[in-house]
Amino acid sequence: MRGHGFLLANYVPGNSFIHRSPLALKFLLVFACGLASFLVVDWRVSLAVLAALCGLFLLTGAGPKRLGRVVRPLFPVLLVIGLFQWWQLGAPTAGRIVLNILVCVVAASLLTATTPVQRILDGVVAAATPFQRFGADPERFALTIGVMLRSIPYIAGTFADVRDSARARGLDRNPRALVLPVFITSVAYARQTGEALAARGLGDAGDDGPGD
Amino acid sequence: MPVVAFDQVTVTVETDHSPTPKVLLDGVNLRLAERRVGVIGANGSGKSTLLRLVNGLIQPTAGKVAVDGDDTVRAVRKVRRSVGFVFTDPLSQLVMPTGREDVELSLRRSVRNGRERQAMAEAALDHLGLLPLADQSIYELSGGERQLMALAAVLAVNPSVLVLDEPSTLLDLRNRELLRHTLGGLEQQVIMSTHDLELALDMDRVLVIENGTVAFDGAPADAVAFYRALCLDGMRHPTGPATGPGTP
Repeated sequence: MRGHGFLLANYVPGNSFIHRSPLALKFLLVFACGLASFLVVDWRVSLAVLAALCGLFLLTGAGPKRLGRVVRPLFPVLLVIGLFQWWQLGAPTAGRIVLNILVCVVAASLLTATTPVQRILDGVVAAATPFQRFGADPERFALTIGVMLRSIPYIAGTFADVRDSARARGLDRNPRALVLPVFITSVAYARQTGEALAARGLGDAGDDGPGD
Repeated sequence: MPVVAFDQVTVTVETDHSPTPKVLLDGVNLRLAERRVGVIGANGSGKSTLLRLVNGLIQPTAGKVAVDGDDTVRAVRKVRRSVGFVFTDPLSQLVMPTGREDVELSLRRSVRNGRERQAMAEAALDHLGLLPLADQSIYELSGGERQLMALAAVLAVNPSVLVLDEPSTLLDLRNRELLRHTLGGLEQQVIMSTHDLELALDMDRVLVIENGTVAFDGAPADAVAFYRALCLDGMRHPTGPATGPGTP
């Protein structure tokens, strides 16, 4: 399996003002960017927000290379979406949609690049604690987020590996040769992850109980 | 040392190809109290099944497995707190992006305070000399470093028994020696399956598993010699089941 630290940037230790900003503020920024992607109707506003976010990302000291690694894998998907939207709704709408997707990804990467995963999980636990009275388990909630953060790059990496092996066999134009192995590998990965978590006693209901 | 006891343990699974269940382990009786226990045998012989029973990852179809008296089915949560499990492929075990985060994940269940958790994670990583690699992506680590990182994540919660399922299979010689050296220095009881006969010779007691039964149980050198004879016999008579002198 290749190295797959892309799509969402891994934590980069540092002491920028974004690193020091409260977690809630960074969560809010990601939420606001997600919300804005539905509300903003002018592609120029989206472009300005994206430029601002890229500027903030560079201020963290994570570097332009890492920013490139975050957005580059999205280009083929964005190209397809952009062309389709252009055909259906015209260039300004296509531009706005593509830029809004990039805004969401860069905002999420800003959070993950400047906050250790464990702090994100602590934040998720704190945010989910009020729901405990309705039967929610905040630790399980946090674990789910953590596993999701790890699984996205893994599955993206699986896709790259499967594409390479399909190419090697001359099957790169056969969608079944791409989709089916990725699906099977992803299911196997989910099972392995579940088994690994179970072996470590993580994710059991009522983890903090006294034991059986 | 903790005592891991197998009492008439049988594990079977249903298969599509046969009307009768496939037997993975057949009536195994064991009492493991040594500090280093090795498990060797051919692929599909039942080694992994035997190890997974210790952590409660698999439940016996019949019989009982207990760790220090705690049943691995009825007291599975308690058992998992005292039994750490290291898988063959560390990438399927490390569920966080970096080693530090993965070790901290292990500690989340027992240590609520974030700073305390960080300090304990650092200590666990430092113990295995992994602190300089703590913040690297797990994909940037070598196979041996990943395996040691997975080991650190398991050891961070201080289990009394450490179960390792073929931990050196994916490692090169240098990383295998690194792992071997690390395992040699552990205080925990170690139960390890391996195809690496040199590693098996480091153990205090070695079991040879064949067709779901314990075909040999004894001193490492004797067990390895028995296993070699078993393999040679299997090559000479590939169609029939391999036979040996049985449990001494």
